[in-house]
Amino acid sequence: MENKRDQYNEEMHRLGRLFTWIALGLILMVPVCYCLTAGVMPLWSKLPECLMFILGYLAIGLVEALSYAPLLGTGGQYLTFITGNISNLKLPCALNSQAIAKVEDGSEEKEIVTTISIAVCSIVTTLVIVLGLIPLAIFQEKIVNALLPISPYVVPAIFGGLTCVLASRYLKIAAVPFVLCILICVIGNFAGMGAVFNQGTMILVGMAVSGVTTTLLYRKGKL
Amino acid sequence: MDMSVIKETVRNSAIFSIVPSIPIVIGIGIMMQYLGLGISWIRLEVIGALQYEIIAMNQVVTPGQVITYVTVATALVIMTLSILSGPVFNAIFYKRYQHRLAELQQKNEHLMNTLTGALLGGLFSGILSAMLVAGIFTIGTPVVAKDTGVATYGEVTLITFFASCLIMVGCGLCMKKFGWKWMESYALPITIVGALVAAYFAVACFE
Repeated sequence: MENKRDQYNEEMHRLGRLFTWIALGLILMVPVCYCLTAGVMPLWSKLPECLMFILGYLAIGLVEALSYAPLLGTGGQYLTFITGNISNLKLPCALNSQAIAKVEDGSEEKEIVTTISIAVCSIVTTLVIVLGLIPLAIFQEKIVNALLPISPYVVPAIFGGLTCVLASRYLKIAAVPFVLCILICVIGNFAGMGAVFNQGTMILVGMAVSGVTTTLLYRKGKL
Repeated sequence: MDMSVIKETVRNSAIFSIVPSIPIVIGIGIMMQYLGLGISWIRLEVIGALQYEIIAMNQVVTPGQVITYVTVATALVIMTLSILSGPVFNAIFYKRYQHRLAELQQKNEHLMNTLTGALLGGLFSGILSAMLVAGIFTIGTPVVAKDTGVATYGEVTLITFFASCLIMVGCGLCMKKFGWKWMESYALPITIVGALVAAYFAVACFE
């Protein structure tokens, strides 16, 4: 059984690495091709201005890759980082499927369910985009104007329900980090730095806080 | 593994993915005004994420600005460089990292499962705290996004979140009381659509 799983993992790594390199090559070719066909060069002087922004995003990407790995599994990790939209789409979709299938952490079933879930999610998103682009190309302004006002509320709509699904399973682990994160956010907002303590920052803060509090609880034998 | 679980996973994931994909289409609609359809499509369907791409684009492109080929080329370079770290990590280091995780799983399964729970707990704590506190602090003073001009009302964020919780609890009660096993697959999609309908009416009230 273990041997079979090792084989599966090896194959996933081989294919995952191959397709990640291909995806990276293609993505890097987009600006190159654009510059060649348009006959222009980017404004290189803008790069130093955006350096801090680029470094910040690179750091977020790295932390996401490290921290989402145990949640996404081998196949899921490669697939999500190629297809994007992780925290707002692929991860909630995988978590929902894991909860419905009632798979155990670290099991083969979890790996399979997660990978299939993310693959299906990617295909459906592609179809929705293709179908959405046809009316969007014709009625761009009307559609954007109609749906734009509710677009900031998609994340609360997803995470309200998902929290209820997962609350009972992870309440013991998540209770302390949740309270601490709320405190950090409240202090940040009172200090006039609400924009800094956005979801991107707080996911990283939350994971760090949760790592520390869970380690303490684990050492005390309370988990 | 039971084939029915796989089939159910395919169905659940397909149903779940429809509604959260719609904002991505809207994101393409916003970005295509500046970068054109092709580039926006590539960035939001492959590798990019809705919440990051528009911000990355706005490092170079601002609403009302005259868009030239040079502007688009510069925005593309910034957006491409910003997104590279995750996939590069996966291509070079992930295999070794995953082996370490697997070793830990073998040596101490309970610890590994606790760590996975901690990451998930941290993820939810981070997202929920940022969302709820921002919602509370912006009650009565909506935040207008510079790039899209869309106002986010704190009240509506909280209404949407609690509507989502209530609908999910309602679905759970229906499953328990009436034995509606079929609802398991549809509970979260129903919740998302229901909460967004509540958001739609709430926005209309506050505008």
